[in-house]
Amino acid sequence: MSTSNDILVRCRGVTKQYKKGETLVTPLESLDLDVPRGDFLAMMGPSGSGKTTLLNLLSGIDQPTSGTIEFDGMEIQDLPRRKLAGWRARHVGYIFQLYHLVPVLTAFENVELPLLLDDMSRRDRRERVEAALSLVGLADRVHHYPRELSGGQEQRVAIARALVADPALLVADEPTGDLDREAADAILGLLQTLVREQHKTVVMVTHDPRAADAAMRILHLEKGRLQEAAV
Amino acid sequence: MLPFGYAVRNLYRNKTRLAQTLAGSALVVLLVMGAQALNAGMRRTLNASGSPDNVMLLGAGSEESVQRSEVSEQAAGIAEASLAGVATVMDTRAVSPEIFHMAYLEMPDGSISRGMVRGVTHRALLTHRRVSIQEGIFPGPGQMMVGRLAWKRLGVTPDALEPGTTILLDEIPFTLSGIFAAPGTVMESEVWMDLNDLRTAAQRETVSSVVVRLESGEREDVEIFARQRLDLELSPIGEKEYYERLAAFYAPVRSMTWITAVLIATAAIFAGFNTLYAAFASRVREIATLQAIGFRRSAVLVSLIQESMMTSLLGALLGSVLASILLTDRLIHLSTGTFRLTVGPETLFAGIITGVILGIVGALPPAFRCLKPSLPQALRD
Ligand SMILES: Nc1ncnc2c1ncn2[C@@H]1O[C@H](COP(=O)(O)OP(=O)(O)O)[C@@H](O)[C@H]1O
Ligand SMILES: [Mg+2]
Repeated sequence: MSTSNDILVRCRGVTKQYKKGETLVTPLESLDLDVPRGDFLAMMGPSGSGKTTLLNLLSGIDQPTSGTIEFDGMEIQDLPRRKLAGWRARHVGYIFQLYHLVPVLTAFENVELPLLLDDMSRRDRRERVEAALSLVGLADRVHHYPRELSGGQEQRVAIARALVADPALLVADEPTGDLDREAADAILGLLQTLVREQHKTVVMVTHDPRAADAAMRILHLEKGRLQEAAV
Repeated sequence: MLPFGYAVRNLYRNKTRLAQTLAGSALVVLLVMGAQALNAGMRRTLNASGSPDNVMLLGAGSEESVQRSEVSEQAAGIAEASLAGVATVMDTRAVSPEIFHMAYLEMPDGSISRGMVRGVTHRALLTHRRVSIQEGIFPGPGQMMVGRLAWKRLGVTPDALEPGTTILLDEIPFTLSGIFAAPGTVMESEVWMDLNDLRTAAQRETVSSVVVRLESGEREDVEIFARQRLDLELSPIGEKEYYERLAAFYAPVRSMTWITAVLIATAAIFAGFNTLYAAFASRVREIATLQAIGFRRSAVLVSLIQESMMTSLLGALLGSVLASILLTDRLIHLSTGTFRLTVGPETLFAGIITGVILGIVGALPPAFRCLKPSLPQALRD
């Protein structure tokens, strides 16, 4: 039994609807979900089942049409957009399938971005950035530009960027979807390490059953509804 | 806030685009500076052309145009005799009867140009103290002298108007006796000749104006004189005011230059919208990523404006350099005179303000358009 204190994210009755012209699309419907602290949750499901939509809601990038999302005891579904930006910076790190690094910035500068939102001395920032980059095994690529890195390395820079501000939750949308087997395994191993050693909570969307196996739990989304399958 | 370096590096992402926006803003800035320099030059010349001590006695009813004014020559003598406070130089009173006449002149090379010809006596030098003879002598009968910028107005090279050459006015030859300077005034593009010669050539019996330089006298004395001698039908007007009115006459020219500048600048801004829209649109997902990380829309907007401002200010710098090379002291001739473009601090200021406006106004619509899609939507693209 987990107490409420152990639950990092709690979704209740979460529904998301979009208007697409005249018709109403409902990517998520009455979804209940608890993500305990320290969880490594894999989310699977066919394309269009609402996986990205769910990640966006958990990470404060999008807001539900109805329902509540409690993060660390605080409801975030009604935060105004301006506040939500600051909230994201402190609490969530987002990892994208295509890395989304800023091409004109070096690995160091990309990872430094979230820290620029805080009042932090240049020296503290440098220490944090270097620590994050060595954690992902890229201490020797600090001043490389994204185009000078392999896909796997880019994704590791993206992970360093996601964790540098020390958020409790990391969300990853098909983080290995664009990588070869070897690079993918390295990324999954890294996420496991972050859960185990840095006490991060990870919610990862994936198509790939092998990737899902790296997680502690797998959930299936089907047409906007959860179908739990114990591991 | 996003680091300034991000905006700087974004500039170099597409060098063609950078070159285009730079050239575009430089051109607009150059244009605006040109319009400002022309207006400043016109204003300066017309302001300098009238002397505050001089009063022109024009024919009543012709205050608007000295060329249409008719004053009996007798009036000059009467004014000289009865006006108090007139400046006196070596026992000669500074009262100058003058004829203003637009005439067709045949140049030594056979070309024909229209120019402002002023018929004068020696006393003109006593009233128009900015005039100094630089070469040759004051024109006597059968002679002419030209202002040092008259060549421009008359469409010949400067050395075509050397003293000794011959200019025809109504097929009558006149010998060029000298060249005079009158710094910063419209007189520099005039042709001066003997009053009696011009009266004959223009077939008139009257003069256009009697210019009086006051020393101790007041404007009021002149007005009282005009009222006492109603028979002379004189209307006094300060020479300075006369040229100020002339400046007002140029208002349409001035508005035209500004309207042209603004129209072209507007066209350039619209071209800039497209260029910047293409630049920003190619980064919609990146911009969304920055927001996902936690940067606010306003922070992104500021960065995009920084980027656009840097180009436009760099363009303004380029435009200013071009302006100082291409425009400084360039002569523009209009019907009443030749104006020297004045590139000064105000011109530079106009250029910089244009750069700032281009930067902000040019960036806003494309930036708003790229920031408009919802965050999930933009991340998906
Ligand atoms: N902004 C949007 N507007 C309209 N429909 C959307 C929008 N975002 C997502 N959808 C729809 O929601 C459904 C789920 O999308 P998504 O969460 O991206 O699925 P998945 O990530 O599982 O492939 C899809 O049918 C998609 O078309
Ligand atoms: Mg998806």
